[in-house]
Amino acid sequence: MLLKIAWRNTWRNKKRSLIIIAAVTAGLATGIFLMAFYNGMVEERVKAAVSGEISHIQLHHPSFRSDYDADFFLDNGREKLNRIRKLPDVKWATGRVVLRGMIASAYGSSGITINGIHPGEEDRITGLSAKIMEGRYFNGEKPNELIIGEKLLKKLKLSRGHKAVISFQDTAGNIESAAFRICAVYKTANTPYDESNVFVPISDLDTLAGLPGQFNEIAVLLHASGQLETVQNTLKGEMPGTEIMNWKEIAPELGLTVTVAEQMVYIFMVIILLALAFGIVNTMLMAVLERKREIGVLLALGMNRARVFNMILAETLFLIAAGCPGGMGIAFAAIAITHRTGINLSKFADVYASFGYSPVNYPSLAPGQLLTILLLVVFTAFLSALYPAWKAIRLKPAASIRK
Amino acid sequence: MKKTVIDAHNLTRIYDEKTIPVYALNGVHLHIEEGEFTAIKGPSGSGKTTLLNMIGGLDSPTGGWVEINGTNITGLKGGALIDFRLHNIGFVFQSYNLIPVLTAWENIEFILLLQKRPATERRKRVNELLAQVGLNDKARKRPAELSGGQQQRVAVARALAPKPQFILADEPTANLDSVSASNLLDIMDKLNKEENITFIFSTHDQRVIDRARRVITLEDGKIVADTAPASIVHETTGEK
Repeated sequence: MLLKIAWRNTWRNKKRSLIIIAAVTAGLATGIFLMAFYNGMVEERVKAAVSGEISHIQLHHPSFRSDYDADFFLDNGREKLNRIRKLPDVKWATGRVVLRGMIASAYGSSGITINGIHPGEEDRITGLSAKIMEGRYFNGEKPNELIIGEKLLKKLKLSRGHKAVISFQDTAGNIESAAFRICAVYKTANTPYDESNVFVPISDLDTLAGLPGQFNEIAVLLHASGQLETVQNTLKGEMPGTEIMNWKEIAPELGLTVTVAEQMVYIFMVIILLALAFGIVNTMLMAVLERKREIGVLLALGMNRARVFNMILAETLFLIAAGCPGGMGIAFAAIAITHRTGINLSKFADVYASFGYSPVNYPSLAPGQLLTILLLVVFTAFLSALYPAWKAIRLKPAASIRK
Repeated sequence: MKKTVIDAHNLTRIYDEKTIPVYALNGVHLHIEEGEFTAIKGPSGSGKTTLLNMIGGLDSPTGGWVEINGTNITGLKGGALIDFRLHNIGFVFQSYNLIPVLTAWENIEFILLLQKRPATERRKRVNELLAQVGLNDKARKRPAELSGGQQQRVAVARALAPKPQFILADEPTANLDSVSASNLLDIMDKLNKEENITFIFSTHDQRVIDRARRVITLEDGKIVADTAPASIVHETTGEK
């Protein structure tokens, strides 16, 4: 009966209830979609970083990452690589020679990471050939070729076909320099990455660096991200004395981005629900104050204060619950459509790229987030009901009935 | 000897105690026995409603106490008082005060639900009560679909639902036309005579006063007249 009264009370002032239900619908739809949009943004960033830049897992000599010294290469790199490729969860793995150095043109120079790669193998990990916007991928016909990022190319005022000088320190500590001809220009969604990474065939670099046939980095791509920890632990067990790191450890700023994004989406949601809560408190307070006499009668007749409290709580819950299906429906429909089509924000591509984000967003929502949203909504209803319910139970029957 | 239902002793109610004290009730003694049909009359501001509120446990006296069937309700607080009202006192208000979102049937059943009575008992009791007030055909109507007289009859049925010790009716006919008022009084009179239900009214209405078997007159928060037999009056006025 209590629920029946609460439900019917919800619809006593239809216009007022519909306004607040519409607000809940709009707020929830916006909040959930915003959450999904943010998820999509971060997922795209992570996907691009993992599949296009750093891969899922990397193996190094334990001292390599402290100063990228060429001397710290992986012992038995080729053997390790072959063992890794045999693991069932591994999609592909490749070896690299990675060096820190300088690139110089007639107009200037810049600090860079020089990635010595096996062209065919690397392409299966990072899909580098697909990111080429001008020129061609390494074909092995000519020596000393270079693939450079568009941003760096412009910075050094170079063009495809031009030569650039690359300098780095070899394993003996000597500075080595070599001229490389630009065969292609690539572009990713991450401008800072493009500005600081160049690619050369490993065969042109390893001898110069004093690392013939060696790797100082093995990049591993998995079939699914869910296997990350399992594969990492397997490798740690099989290859003691090798530093084996997953992408979150390699690029902690990326892991931090994911964590911050997860927190941010909830902060957005809480802000929206908090704003809604004020509207709901206002509506429920009006409902209580308008029904002072009625509530006074209920108290006089023998309805205890806990029941009155529950009645107001139920009314608030109904009000919010009535807006939930609509809000969630709109949000889910919008997410389903945009997840398929993507939201193309190419107009702002430069801005997104400067932060490493893709201009095309595919919103998505995790089941856990949906559960959290539902809990937040229930909590909001409870919070919004507190003050009006408190006002209701504080009413004195005699005074209220006289009003 | 009849059972004492209400025993109020030296009831005082002062409003605005700290500024200019107003005595709504000033040392009222009242003794009501089972089966009485009593009207409390008096001009506006004489303390009728305040007295009813004290007897009904809706307000606390500044001084004195009220005993209902041997229980001192002045000492009851919060949930205990609400629970006592639920099981012992029936209320009929001037403005009917039915729950507008419930039907006539549900308004009556609601009290029985609060008392946690089983469904079969509730159904039987609500049917009985609607028949007693002559509103079987209006069971599914909401208050807004009923006339004032019909609403007040539902209110009487609601007040009777928990089988209370007595029914307090605060100006029950004030908003009714003469036919509705007369019908209502007939019903209450019949319930009093046939089922020995105790009714206490506060009223200005001469029609109610004429039907009452005891009339208590209040003025300035004091009982100035009482038509009850001398033995009861003595108890009412505190004389022994």
